[in-house]
Amino acid sequence: MEKILQKKSFPKWVEKLDAYEIYSPVKKDNTWSYEIINTPGDIELDYPNAVQAPKKIINPQREVFLEFGRSDDDTLEVTEVLPEEKSVVIFGVRPCDAKALTLTDLVFSEDIKDNYYGKRRKQTAIIGLACNTPPSPNCFCTSVDGSPHSEDGFDILLTDLGDRYFVKSLTNMGNDLINLGKGLFVAPKANEKKELAKIHADAEKKLKRQVNDVEKIPPKLKEMFESAFWDEESMSCLRCGICTYLCPTCHCFDISDEVTSVAPFKGYRIRTWDNCQFPDFTMHSSGHNPRPDKASRLRQRIMHKYQYFVERYDHYQCTGCGRCISKCPVGIDIIEVLNKVRDYG
Amino acid sequence: MVKLEDLKKEATQILKSGKVKYIIGYAKGADGFMPIPTFISDPEDVENLTWNPACVHNLTKFIVDEKKRLKKDKNPDNRPIGIIVKGCDSRAINVLLQEKYIDRDDVYLLGVSCEKTGVVDEKKLAKTLKGQRVVQIDFEDNGNFLVTTESGSEKIPAEDVLAERCIECKANFPVVFDIVFGEKIKRQVDKPFQSVETIEDLSQEDRWKFWKEQLDKCIRCYACRSVCPMCYCDECVVDTISFAVEPDTSAEEKAQKIKWIEKSPNLSENIVYHLTRAMHLAGRCIDCGECERVCPLDIPIRFLNKKMEKDAKNFFDYEVGFDPDQPSLVSSFKDEDPEDFIR
Ligand code: SF4
Ligand code: SF4
Ligand code: SF4
Ligand code: SF4
Ligand code: SF4
Repeated sequence: MEKILQKKSFPKWVEKLDAYEIYSPVKKDNTWSYEIINTPGDIELDYPNAVQAPKKIINPQREVFLEFGRSDDDTLEVTEVLPEEKSVVIFGVRPCDAKALTLTDLVFSEDIKDNYYGKRRKQTAIIGLACNTPPSPNCFCTSVDGSPHSEDGFDILLTDLGDRYFVKSLTNMGNDLINLGKGLFVAPKANEKKELAKIHADAEKKLKRQVNDVEKIPPKLKEMFESAFWDEESMSCLRCGICTYLCPTCHCFDISDEVTSVAPFKGYRIRTWDNCQFPDFTMHSSGHNPRPDKASRLRQRIMHKYQYFVERYDHYQCTGCGRCISKCPVGIDIIEVLNKVRDYG
Repeated sequence: MVKLEDLKKEATQILKSGKVKYIIGYAKGADGFMPIPTFISDPEDVENLTWNPACVHNLTKFIVDEKKRLKKDKNPDNRPIGIIVKGCDSRAINVLLQEKYIDRDDVYLLGVSCEKTGVVDEKKLAKTLKGQRVVQIDFEDNGNFLVTTESGSEKIPAEDVLAERCIECKANFPVVFDIVFGEKIKRQVDKPFQSVETIEDLSQEDRWKFWKEQLDKCIRCYACRSVCPMCYCDECVVDTISFAVEPDTSAEEKAQKIKWIEKSPNLSENIVYHLTRAMHLAGRCIDCGECERVCPLDIPIRFLNKKMEKDAKNFFDYEVGFDPDQPSLVSSFKDEDPEDFIR
């Protein structure tokens, strides 16, 4: 379904969505983040990409699996805690971040269906905003099968046409949301469709960075497992959690029990994000660590995204959002690493 | 002014003569104006060295890294490492010496003077330039920076874009070095704790509100710990299992490992992390500001360490990183130390 929505009607539409919990990018101190908003006026769609991808809403950093404890007669009680049922809308999602969700879907819903992730995913509508200008100097979505107006993972994609939005619904969930604002939306005219196509084409040209011949990288990586390349490239790496925690596609986790009270005995089994750059990520209880140094950890990050995932799912596990580049404290730049891999040897 | 050519000449010379194993310095990054840490062992690559107001990183962290590598190496090459140090970085070297983490001849220090200015705060720079993309930034005479953007060059007063720590800096000239570049210029710092005083001045209620909001944002990526040259412990309280688990660690020992901090990134656990870290850095933090710079969520954690620094100065007349032979703050006492807090 394709529609036009005047920007001045936008708040009226959002008002109609009062049955939903609504997230939007908001500016807190100096950084942008997705937060629950209370009035339509709080929605900010003129924003660079948020520091943390909307992954943090669908796959939160801490997820409670179950609650345990001893009752008065000393029996052990275990109760499953599923995510609260509600309808959620996230506004202002960038195409790379929506595509990232489709990749995580593969991991969490193929052989083993993850009920927690699945539930949140299903009850959340993703409303995107095409990037008329790449929000980060490190955007490179077009190199990895994406684009600033890619539709993957969206229920609705908005494109800013100045005083109007071009609204494209891509799923039934999207149609329902538009129907709630009946009367506010009109059909696009031929010239508006032309305008849309031009904006989309121009946006692609504005991307400053790219990885050429990206398809040469997965086979190349396969030969580079033992290469000294990883030692050289990782010399300055600090083994922090920035590149992975901020990455919209990274999804590794750890499960632990947290006791909140000893008498009466009570606690939670939780899942929290984990990541391959931390030294204890692969530590065995024997004391052996198969990834003992930062070279093997950087290798893991790149291999997972550009080799293992490609082999397993036929997609790059990187959508080119540029976050790991912009936020790495020492300037380790995945574009540069990939270009070097392609030309290595 | 620091002449890059002189720096390169010395670097080439010490590499060629085999005096150092390699040199840790700054090089141009792949994209943008921010330099990256570089490790040079081939004299040919000295060409890549750079020095400009965006050389923010405290490279001494990589000396700690090297020490850890050497410990595991069966045939260690114990030649010194050449390293470029600003004033603040040189104070970190002094702390590492004081704590006997390194020996003086583990390092060959190429000091650089910040003279009248210091290094930039990327966020302030972005604000001042209202989103124009910076291509290059250089030192200029008279406390100015020359900033080249995509649309041209302009001179801006350094004070507009200097990192907070540089405004409050006590060592704009290296305090320990083997060779030094640039002039020693005395700089008056009237209010060395001005930034943290803005927080101290708040009411207790507002202060709690401030920290609650700030620490609630923390995602525990531990970049603040990872970047810190003083955070060198083999076993850190935040790691669930750590290096201290060796093949011969017994099951009992493992079972007795205390979990100090839960993995949940919630306010209470985040506070445990940050307060523990602040306490562990009392009398050790040299205010390089790296922990705050690297935080992806812009959490002003430098305040915590600055407060420790202020208290150490006011209560114990202790200053960090100027004298490698002074007894450390937390492992020594003087008769005149205040004791009115002991009840
Ligand atoms: S990578 Fe592409 S889709 Fe993502 S923010 Fe940048 S331009 Fe938009
Ligand atoms: S690559 Fe950068 S962001 Fe990632 S762990 Fe290393 S230092 Fe941290
Ligand atoms: S690897 Fe980096 S560029 Fe790719 S999706 Fe993750 S954060 Fe974005
Ligand atoms: S760098 Fe920032 S987000 Fe990461 S652990 Fe430190 S304070 Fe938290
Ligand atoms: S605590 Fe922060 S400012 Fe202090 S030495 Fe460590 S990184 Fe530098």
